[in-house]
Amino acid sequence: MKKLITVSSSIAMLVSTCVFADMRIGGYGSIIAGKTLGTVDDPLNPGQTRDEILTADFYDVGQYKNDITFKAESIFAVQATMDLAENFSATAQLVAKGVDDFEPEFDWYYVTYKPTDNLTLMAGRRNIPMYYFSEFSEVGYAYPWMRPPANLYWWQVTQFNGVHAMYDFELGDYSNTITVFYGNEYSDDNVEMLYYNKLYGGSARTVNEFWTDIAGMNWNISGDNFDLRFVYFQNDRDRETIQQDGSIDPYTPFSQTFIGLGGNISLDKFTLLFDWNFVDYDDDVGTEFPTYLLSLVYNWEDYQPYISYSKADHERTKVPTEDLEEHYMLGIGLRYNFLPTAAFKIQYDKFVDQGDKAGGWAYHGDSRTITMGVDFVF
Amino acid sequence: MLWPVKKVTWKVILAVSTIGLLNISNAYAEVAIVVHPSNTSSFDQSTIKKIFLGKAKSFSNGRSAILISTSAKDPVTDEFNTKVIGKSSSQVKAYWSKILFTGKGTPPQEMDSASEVIATVSSNPDAIAYVDASAASDAVKVVATF
Repeated sequence: MKKLITVSSSIAMLVSTCVFADMRIGGYGSIIAGKTLGTVDDPLNPGQTRDEILTADFYDVGQYKNDITFKAESIFAVQATMDLAENFSATAQLVAKGVDDFEPEFDWYYVTYKPTDNLTLMAGRRNIPMYYFSEFSEVGYAYPWMRPPANLYWWQVTQFNGVHAMYDFELGDYSNTITVFYGNEYSDDNVEMLYYNKLYGGSARTVNEFWTDIAGMNWNISGDNFDLRFVYFQNDRDRETIQQDGSIDPYTPFSQTFIGLGGNISLDKFTLLFDWNFVDYDDDVGTEFPTYLLSLVYNWEDYQPYISYSKADHERTKVPTEDLEEHYMLGIGLRYNFLPTAAFKIQYDKFVDQGDKAGGWAYHGDSRTITMGVDFVF
Repeated sequence: MLWPVKKVTWKVILAVSTIGLLNISNAYAEVAIVVHPSNTSSFDQSTIKKIFLGKAKSFSNGRSAILISTSAKDPVTDEFNTKVIGKSSSQVKAYWSKILFTGKGTPPQEMDSASEVIATVSSNPDAIAYVDASAASDAVKVVATF
């Protein structure tokens, strides 16, 4: 109840501070429950068994275990856009997540300036446009599945403070948008990195993760029955693992590049969704992460049954070895649009960890998970 | 038993006649695309689709389009989305929720009734909307029907 009051008073504050501006309010949410179905040999403690664990949300470490939980992925968000002039607006999103005990936070806040119909400039806090579904990965209503494939959307940084410039243009019959962006993210007390520290027996006080000089572009092309998006960006990486005594573990900074091609194609009643990505570090061992997603959705009136396959691999080019992280997820499910603004979803996921056990790279472990819930927009 | 007909047969008859009824109602619900009478831009289905998906931001007369939609509860919305956009209303809503919550555009403004749609379009030179063809009046210009 206390949290509800905080949410309502924050919204009220948002509303009362801009009574003079034109304001548009909307929002989205997902109430999702789920559990894993069995136990598995603990990959990091051979000989011991534990619950199967599915990390459905890596950034927030939202996990399913044997006990049913609503907290791993449930989310409630309110977006307010204040039109301060005809071509200038300010937008904020107040987001409450189950993983944070529904403690609301302003996850998005940015200003938008449109000097012309075709040019949009944005500055502030937004999601990094990494994978095809990254920017709207928490808007469950916007895609068929329960979530974009968890084993690809695994990064410890998903947002940044920066600037975007978007330019729309027509090329033949196709609509194009080119976006360039630049920004930084100083993620103090990074939840995912501290989780890994503890998973491997560490006892760090906190881990700070820094992604700086994030610079890149997206090129979006869409036609009558397809939407394609190319992404390229690069950034510098650094990390502070702070121990209980205040000492900081040594860490060698490096740079990474991210490229990808994703989108969707509609063929009669079928929609094919795909995303191929490649991440490359300039570290000593030449780390690479090739990943891809393939998914097919059948659109039959208000029902959308689907299947999806996502595969992630971890390679080293300078010290070639196959004994690293590797896994795939196979998901089947159904989306039922029971209201114009709400969809019921049920999904079964099989996570197969193909990582090297001896080296500690099979740290996810296999899992089978059932989730169901409702996504809505308002 | 009143008629010597199996229960299953009744179900089939019921289902077939219901489908028949639906088809009849579909055939009569025509969608009209309406703009302000002063708007002399050219419109074909592809242009209308692009405008209503926010992919084309302006008319051929160079002015920015203001998108108006009829209530999601009005059957004409399903008709428009199926016939013109080529998607179900839920798919169109999903498309717009992706754009709205990433701040890349604003979905059409939803009006409660067809008369409100007509009133808005007739008083705004840059508005474009869809309505049930029977609701279109002389106050607006019908540029296409589907």
